[in-house]
Amino acid sequence: MAATTVATRRATRTNRRLAWGSPSVYFVAVLLIGAMLAPVVYIILGGFRTNAQITTDPAGWPNPWRVGNYLGVLRGGVFWQEVLNSTVIAVCTTAGVVTLGLMTSYILARYRFRGRGAMYALFAAGLMFPLTVAITPLYILVRTVGLMNTLPGVILPQIGFGISTTIIILVPFLRAIPDEIQEAASIDGCSRLGFFWRMVLPLSMPGVITVAILTFIASWNSYLLPLFILNRESTFTLPLGVQAFASQYSVDTAKVLAFTSLSMIPALVFFSLFQRRIVGGLTGAVKG
Amino acid sequence: MTDSNQTSAQLAQDPSTGLTTVGGGALVAPPPTRRRSRKGIGWPARLEIALMTGPTLIVYLFFVILPVAVAAYYGFFSWQGYGPPKDFVGLRNYLLIFQDGAFLDALWHNAAIVVLSLVIQGPVAVLLALLLNRKMRGQTLIRVLVFIPYVISEVVVGTGWSLMLQGDGAVNSLLEHIGLGWLRTDWLANPGLAIWTLMGILTWKYIGFAVILFLAGLQGIPDELTEAAAIDGASYWQIQRRITLPLLGPTIRIWAFLSMIGALQLFDLVYIIWGQYVASTAGTSTMATYMVANGRNAGEYGYGNAVAVVLFLISLAAALVYQRFVLRRDTEGAITGGMG
Amino acid sequence: MRARKLLAASLVLAAGVLGVAACGQGGSGAGNSGGKVTMTFWNNATQGDGKTFWEKTVADFQAAHPNVTIKIQEIQNEDLDGKLQTALNSGDAPDIFLQRGGGKMAAMVKAGQLMDITGSVTDATKQVVTAGSFKAETLGGKVYAMPMGVVPGGFFYSKDLFAKAGITQTPTTLADLQDDIAKLKAAGIQPIALGAKDAWPAAFYYDFFALRECTSNTITETANTLKFDDPCWLKAGQDVQSFAATKPFNDGFLTTSSQQGAGSSAGLVANHKAAMELMGAWDPGVIGSLTPDQKPLPDLDWFPFPNTQGGAGEPGAMLGGVGGFSCSVKAPKAECTAFLNYLTTTSVQEAYYKAFQSPPINSEAQGAVTEPYLKSVLAAYGKAPYVSQWLDTNYGLNVGNALNTAVVNLLAGKGDAQGIVDAVKNAAKKA
Repeated sequence: MAATTVATRRATRTNRRLAWGSPSVYFVAVLLIGAMLAPVVYIILGGFRTNAQITTDPAGWPNPWRVGNYLGVLRGGVFWQEVLNSTVIAVCTTAGVVTLGLMTSYILARYRFRGRGAMYALFAAGLMFPLTVAITPLYILVRTVGLMNTLPGVILPQIGFGISTTIIILVPFLRAIPDEIQEAASIDGCSRLGFFWRMVLPLSMPGVITVAILTFIASWNSYLLPLFILNRESTFTLPLGVQAFASQYSVDTAKVLAFTSLSMIPALVFFSLFQRRIVGGLTGAVKG
Repeated sequence: MTDSNQTSAQLAQDPSTGLTTVGGGALVAPPPTRRRSRKGIGWPARLEIALMTGPTLIVYLFFVILPVAVAAYYGFFSWQGYGPPKDFVGLRNYLLIFQDGAFLDALWHNAAIVVLSLVIQGPVAVLLALLLNRKMRGQTLIRVLVFIPYVISEVVVGTGWSLMLQGDGAVNSLLEHIGLGWLRTDWLANPGLAIWTLMGILTWKYIGFAVILFLAGLQGIPDELTEAAAIDGASYWQIQRRITLPLLGPTIRIWAFLSMIGALQLFDLVYIIWGQYVASTAGTSTMATYMVANGRNAGEYGYGNAVAVVLFLISLAAALVYQRFVLRRDTEGAITGGMG
Repeated sequence: MRARKLLAASLVLAAGVLGVAACGQGGSGAGNSGGKVTMTFWNNATQGDGKTFWEKTVADFQAAHPNVTIKIQEIQNEDLDGKLQTALNSGDAPDIFLQRGGGKMAAMVKAGQLMDITGSVTDATKQVVTAGSFKAETLGGKVYAMPMGVVPGGFFYSKDLFAKAGITQTPTTLADLQDDIAKLKAAGIQPIALGAKDAWPAAFYYDFFALRECTSNTITETANTLKFDDPCWLKAGQDVQSFAATKPFNDGFLTTSSQQGAGSSAGLVANHKAAMELMGAWDPGVIGSLTPDQKPLPDLDWFPFPNTQGGAGEPGAMLGGVGGFSCSVKAPKAECTAFLNYLTTTSVQEAYYKAFQSPPINSEAQGAVTEPYLKSVLAAYGKAPYVSQWLDTNYGLNVGNALNTAVVNLLAGKGDAQGIVDAVKNAAKKA
């Protein structure tokens, strides 16, 4: 009896909940989002003003709106060159991390061999090695190998440093695939690697996507490694470019703001395209 | 077949860093399988292992492990960065680090940032997650918007905020507009205030991440539990305290771990906003900015490497201690014990 | 079968990545194919007339030397030293670059990164650039850089603001200066703009007081020994402390940069928000680019750092000296030295002076200087019994940075005079 009442009560409550939440919740949410987005909005709007406007009224609205700064940045080659560099680095890093990470996680998750524990601990320990620790010898290493000022000089170390997080996230995913499926597949004549290709890959997609997205964002935003490795302007990535532009044109605050907000856009676009996956992926990673 | 049973049990219970796995504990007796030789696995399998993990190991060992090992080596030299290191000085660099007031200041700042991040972001994020954890229209949109600061690079955040926080920048001007002009101050330079400004910016950037993580964790708590408690007459806050928060525990502990490691390694934001010289005067220097200022920027690469090693050891110690005492319940020695 | 294909594909990918890495070595420096020479040139003129000057100078040089192409890269002044060092150490150095001299140059010489141009200075150059000017760019008898301009330090001030505060004469002693500061404050004007965020502007005060307290011998010797045991170093710090005690600097000086934007110390002077700043002779150009109409400040003038009582240093001694350009050891010798010699020719030097409003090194071009304050600078420079490079340049990156930061700490109230001495001793230990 109680069960049915509960059920009906729940049903109605659920229906009502999906409509609108309580006003107080929305109020807090609006405040929160306002606080989150205000600086972003400031940066974007700042690009539409002139320096004089900013000096006289720092916190005001653009009046009149000027597109010149944005157009100037978009027309200049520097911005697009840096977008290209950032994109190449991020895509290659993500591809490398996903490929290597998936292969290795599969082995760690589903094979038994001596030294498996040690290998896992080795990769897990990589979480303790932040890039800041390794940057100086890494810079010297990259220099010795002759990769200074090249994109691979940034891509390869980033792949190395992305492996740890990837393995940590993917191993539980891959382990969660029940043995029964593997046994059944092997009975049907599928080798372990065939199993990997045909069944594991699709099943582990959520985890793979999470990893891919986190890696892409981290690579896109990374500053320290490119700072040390990329010294030639033509190789700059966007974060380096923002800082260089801000220094070079420090006289022209409005221009700097335009450049800065344009450099936010690729990350935001990427995020809004994949936000469902990201949030879902994080949910999955935490929940399992 | 005990082997396979044990394997299943292990798999269920043994993730890393406390991520719980689904399908855990399924101690179903598997159907009869090929018997695996006790001597180990066959050569084809070994080849597969080698080929699949080989490239990863090469890249990882070369670009991650080797630099840290080399850093330790270089730390024993006095070396200006060109040619091979020649001037062996033993432990001198390491001793100097701990005698340097500037480093100790940076260490203190890092500790403060770790603690303040946990104390400020944790409760606020939990409250926000509790608040937003209802099925209501616009929930997805809110989540997306809250997450945006996390997606933006630290360089952009630093550049934007440092422009806004200048003496005659947007923040002070806004305060005047709304009549709070007496609050106008030097947000960045005042040594007592700068660290709080930094905490403000860090909170702004990373609280979205915490909220999303906690929301995900909350979704893992079955509604029936809270419903049942409500029926039994528990108040909202009692429910949160007794049911929701404990069940959210693993998520909170993971978040705290990630937050701690991130706080120890903080570099980009501080370097962009305060630069290499003023960070220590303003009270916001971190071990990483100290390392760059005294290593690369001073042309003393031997010393800089020693600082890097010290930073690594401190992070490692913090992580191990945390793993052992806090995450112990959630995992069975993921890092300390490997995979058993 | 498919699994093996996947394996093969993965191997190819991994090998490909590593292969690209091995092959992807960016060649740099001079290409020398078929007589065509390309050089890279790093300077710190990121905007305005200075930038235009370099573009024109390079274009003219290329026109006269059709087989030479020079690529200019402008780097913000504060980033230049770090990037240059990284580039030099990584073997990917620019061919021509700004040379600060002093200990920074000594470090590069020790690392074998600079071209020795002693034999390549043409007679034409020697006619217009005095031997004394080359001293700053010489180490162990060899010349490693071509001097370009004279940039000694002193107070650049606004005549209008001084008049508004009722100051009729520029100060010659420290006591005079402090009187003037009091008058400016009474008139509601920020007396001194200070770009302490960049640290070296703050250290200028220490450097000058050290110049007044220490004998010139001490200052020169310390560059070799890096020992700061002489009590004059401590006294210099105490001078800075008592000078700063009157709070002569602009609000928020700790996060004011020196040259970047209207909020920088140069910008404050340019917009009449502060009365003066202690700077090198590049300042008029910077100030000029930050005025509302981006033209030189009409009421700008200059006075040297005042003399003090009782110090062991010679009155009238100056800091700053000479700025120049070096060739990297890997640069193409003929073309690089040709460019350096070209830079000292009278026409280029006159254009340089006009673009940067900074005194040129060429003695003929110096005759063309019209601004009264630049004439005062040149006169004081000519009369100075002793000229030293800025101390952070003198003593190298490591000690120099520590010195600069320690002075900032003192000015912010976080350190004291002894702290400065301790900091530099500490840094010397880390070397």
